[in-house]
Amino acid sequence: MSNLPNPFISPSGKKPNCMEMLQLILDGQATADQSEYFKTHMDHCMPCFKSYQLDMSIKELLRTKCCGGDAPSELVNKIKSQIAQNI
Amino acid sequence: MEIEDAPNQHYSDLEKGEIFNNEFLPHIHSMYNFGYRLTLDRDDAKDLVQDTYFKAFRFIESFQRGTNAKAWLFRILKNSFINDYRKKVKEPNKVDYQEVETYYNSEDVDRQITQDLRVDALKDMIGDEISNALNALDVDFRTVIILCDLEGFKYEEMAKILDIPIGTVRSRLHRARQLLKEKLSEYAKSMGYKNT
Ligand SMILES: [Zn+2]
Repeated sequence: MSNLPNPFISPSGKKPNCMEMLQLILDGQATADQSEYFKTHMDHCMPCFKSYQLDMSIKELLRTKCCGGDAPSELVNKIKSQIAQNI
Repeated sequence: MEIEDAPNQHYSDLEKGEIFNNEFLPHIHSMYNFGYRLTLDRDDAKDLVQDTYFKAFRFIESFQRGTNAKAWLFRILKNSFINDYRKKVKEPNKVDYQEVETYYNSEDVDRQITQDLRVDALKDMIGDEISNALNALDVDFRTVIILCDLEGFKYEEMAKILDIPIGTVRSRLHRARQLLKEKLSEYAKSMGYKNT
């Protein structure tokens, strides 16, 4: 928006579109400046705001539902004892 | 990072034990989850993880202490999966990268899918929907979601783990997110959510 320098602009001067900005945010690649800029951008860009809400909810759901617990202790013990024998 | 590299460190047995216990073993739960998400089978995941840790120990002198052990281990596991496991199972899934590029450039599709799926539908997905949706993705797409969203790896790390350029990591992640949303909106529809 207006006067803020856009931290997403690449050294070659190419201005990224909404989707490209959103992806950097989602992928955890955005700098602090870029995250800040994107927050302001979402205030006046409804598609970005909606996509961001949805994509972040999915990411959160993945983290809580798909990090399926611990490795079986029998596996951990087997690996430990095998290595101990080889040292 | 290259496991095939000639060993360039020299460690005493004591040091080897320390590296193994302090730098390798703490990642075993993430490794097991990765193995499971790749093979979709608990026993295969165990074999894959065990195999990876034995390899890591055998090649421990290729590992530089204090560097990114997690990425190094993930790379070994992924290579074992491709070389040993995938050959055995013969999964017919070559990703069409031309399609990926075209897809990446079409913004309209995103908006459409976004409208199809709403945040409140996700809130009701308290069962296995998200896990099933993830598992239903082609393994190449599944992998980037796991590395990025579950494990928090950066583009550069993913590029090294997967032996692909960063641009490919990005476009694959983009496509994977879209496919995941398509699966989730199918679930949402079957749960009675309307697309309006
Ligand atoms: Zn926007």
